[in-house]
Amino acid sequence: MKKKVLSVLLSMAMVAGVITGCGGAAQSAADQLEAEGVTEIPQSEASTEAATTEAPAETEAKELDLSQQVDLVFYVMGDAPQDEELVEDALNEKLLEKCNATVDMQFSTWTDFQQKYANEITAQSADLIYIANWLNYGQLASSGAFEELDEMLDTVAPELKATVGDSALNMCKVDGKIYAVPNTWAEYVCNGVKYREDLRAKYDLPVPDSLENLEAYLLGIKENEPNQGLLTVTTEESQGLKTGFDAAWALNFKYPWVANNGLDYGLAANYDTPADVYDYWYSDDFVDDMKLMKKWADLGFWSKSALSDTNNSDAYKNGLCVAEVAGQNPNKQVTAIADFENAGQGWESAYVAYGETNGIIYPGHATQNGTAIVRGCKDPERALLVLQTLLCDEETNAILQYGIKGTHYDVVDGIYKNLQEEAGETPTFPYEGFNTWNLRNGETKLPQKTDVALQEMFDKYAALGAKTKFPNVNIYDGFAENYDSYSAERSAVSNVMRQYLAPLEAGLVDDVDAAVEEFRSKMKEAGIDKCREEYTKQWVAYCEEYDYK
Amino acid sequence: MAKDLDYEPSAPKTIKKSTGTKIFEAIAYILLAVGSIVCVLPFIIIVSGSFTDNSTILIKGYSLLPRDFTLSAYQTIFRSPKDILQAYKMTLYYTVVGTGLGLMMITLTGYVISRKEFKYRNTVSFLIYFTSIFGGGMIPWYLMYANVLNLKGSTLAIWFPALMSPFLVILMRTFIVGAVPDAITESAKIDGAGHFTIFFRIVLPVLKPGLATVGLFLALGYWNDWYRSSMFSTNSSTWQLQFYLYDLLNATTAMKQMASNVSMKTADLPTESVKLAMAVVATGPVLLFYPFVQRFFVSGITVGAVKG
Repeated sequence: MKKKVLSVLLSMAMVAGVITGCGGAAQSAADQLEAEGVTEIPQSEASTEAATTEAPAETEAKELDLSQQVDLVFYVMGDAPQDEELVEDALNEKLLEKCNATVDMQFSTWTDFQQKYANEITAQSADLIYIANWLNYGQLASSGAFEELDEMLDTVAPELKATVGDSALNMCKVDGKIYAVPNTWAEYVCNGVKYREDLRAKYDLPVPDSLENLEAYLLGIKENEPNQGLLTVTTEESQGLKTGFDAAWALNFKYPWVANNGLDYGLAANYDTPADVYDYWYSDDFVDDMKLMKKWADLGFWSKSALSDTNNSDAYKNGLCVAEVAGQNPNKQVTAIADFENAGQGWESAYVAYGETNGIIYPGHATQNGTAIVRGCKDPERALLVLQTLLCDEETNAILQYGIKGTHYDVVDGIYKNLQEEAGETPTFPYEGFNTWNLRNGETKLPQKTDVALQEMFDKYAALGAKTKFPNVNIYDGFAENYDSYSAERSAVSNVMRQYLAPLEAGLVDDVDAAVEEFRSKMKEAGIDKCREEYTKQWVAYCEEYDYK
Repeated sequence: MAKDLDYEPSAPKTIKKSTGTKIFEAIAYILLAVGSIVCVLPFIIIVSGSFTDNSTILIKGYSLLPRDFTLSAYQTIFRSPKDILQAYKMTLYYTVVGTGLGLMMITLTGYVISRKEFKYRNTVSFLIYFTSIFGGGMIPWYLMYANVLNLKGSTLAIWFPALMSPFLVILMRTFIVGAVPDAITESAKIDGAGHFTIFFRIVLPVLKPGLATVGLFLALGYWNDWYRSSMFSTNSSTWQLQFYLYDLLNATTAMKQMASNVSMKTADLPTESVKLAMAVVATGPVLLFYPFVQRFFVSGITVGAVKG
């Protein structure tokens, strides 16, 4: 009898297991954590809670009690440098002297880093942690993963607050509270077109700084060198909800909002009036643009199999194409200059940012590289003091970012030089070897050789950016969409984009008007209206909150 | 084959195969040939690619024979072979320790729950089996090792979690039940043998195929695993070989992706040919080793298939 009961139980268990399929669903764990795990993060221990609630009584800077040594764990992204211990020891020597604290750097590695990052926060084993918008900073902060810093910044780290500045700190606010400290190095990652300056000059073609000129440039090369590949565009830089095919990014010349950080779902909003959202996919402009794309495809600017090609990120470097229009930024241009120099074939690369033509240009968002204190940290105040020392103290910052002077690097004419690289060895501590992009200090950051060209570009963009309505403020990237209530529609929309928008934008349809009609009706069926409605609501609320009006 | 010839040395030609057999053999040979080409080709391409100049791969694609022959990829790897050798060493260590200990624990458990006189054997079997269907999920699993047992960063965290699996325990139990009839253990008991004597002197000797099968499963699991390194290693000197290679690839993709948002250096990422050379260096020794132990593997698996 007992046996029967047991076997019934067993078979029930088996059936349940098959139905729920909750065996080893490791893949979905990250989503699971995002959906529920993070909300379960226990509140901070009583002691830290008390510390933050007591603080308002004394708003002035206070001396911290440094008598106890505190050992902190600093979680950063990527792989550890070979000389991790050596540099950590040197760093801790300084930190012990200044804050009576040590840090132990821990690295995520690039395998499964998103999931491990979430684990780390749930486990609360780190004290300081790297944050970024691409690591769901906003979502994590609002679910209580990090310590609030508002008061502590005044009491413990006024120098840090002054160095970073209120406007950057404001951008790190989530639900009105500061949870992270950004770096202080304004960085422009504005998209643009990378093209072959040597070919342009050789055939006396226009600089591709608008849709017309880009067309003329590509046509000119096609006429002069019929065998030369022109664009190697695929769908790989267009996996989001903005475009379906890489060539469509060139439309950024015409519309400032066709950008990596623009609005999703074929919605558009001008930079000057961000809360005023309007439609693109159902407008006449869209039809005209798609006709242009078809024209380009018919002219043979890209391969007929472009939709199924895989991305070859080294195509430009190896001369397989003469321009890149998607996913480019100043840093990639700088890399290309160096690559061409090494290749020694007399090739030259030049760069036009879309913003130079459309007039809208802004640096990266403050939450692109920041540091937060994980809730449950051993000693949040000391952690903040350590953070202040790491970022603001020039000596400490230099050890953290460049290693040991004389062993790893040297400074020649104000420019960073890696000694091991110079000697032909593999560097045991490369530039920013701890991957602490979040601790770049704009004032003391040592430029690398390539940074000179980069800085020139940045200066140019900064001057342009100063003329916009929100001078040098990235109003887009602080926004985080919450699509819980319409995730089904959202993925349906994404599918329609892959299936109908991609061929349209790749110009691989016979009749543009008919294809546009089909795309639009499929979009309606997929539930684009619901997505747009919710998205717009959230976006407008975001603009309200941060006063982007 | 040799035996056939000995049997009828003078008249091998007189025996004619029927047309059916001939057709069957022809089809079988063709299928096997296609199958082995499919298996071997990728490997040849990997080897040839590892000897090819990187820019040639990018411009002309892969080929069966290396074009623009160069050893530069191997030179890059062996400039500092320390990392890859360390990863080899660690993987060997995890495999040996994990398989040895795991085999011991699984066999002991299997024996205990196979004994009829053990009153709670059904309950215990159920508890073991239950975990194969219902797991706590990835995050509790992680928290258990990282926060409760505090194993993060230690090598224990890498081999300990995989010591036993419900499937292997059940498999081992079935082996024991099938291989050792009750009558034998009973008579041993009458002769005064205790459980240890029964286990070591009677059960273990007849359990060799079972041990081979379970051991193979365990060893392959350890050799191929990278996930626990990814989760629990805090220092690259404890990495498993597979993770070392996997992370190399991931780093390349991640950095390339990141480069569209953040200023960072992407110049010194491994090139295509270096990646291929890595694969050769990592799999080569195993590949050479495999043919010699293959027959044990095969017999182990088939024995398991019949009896399990």
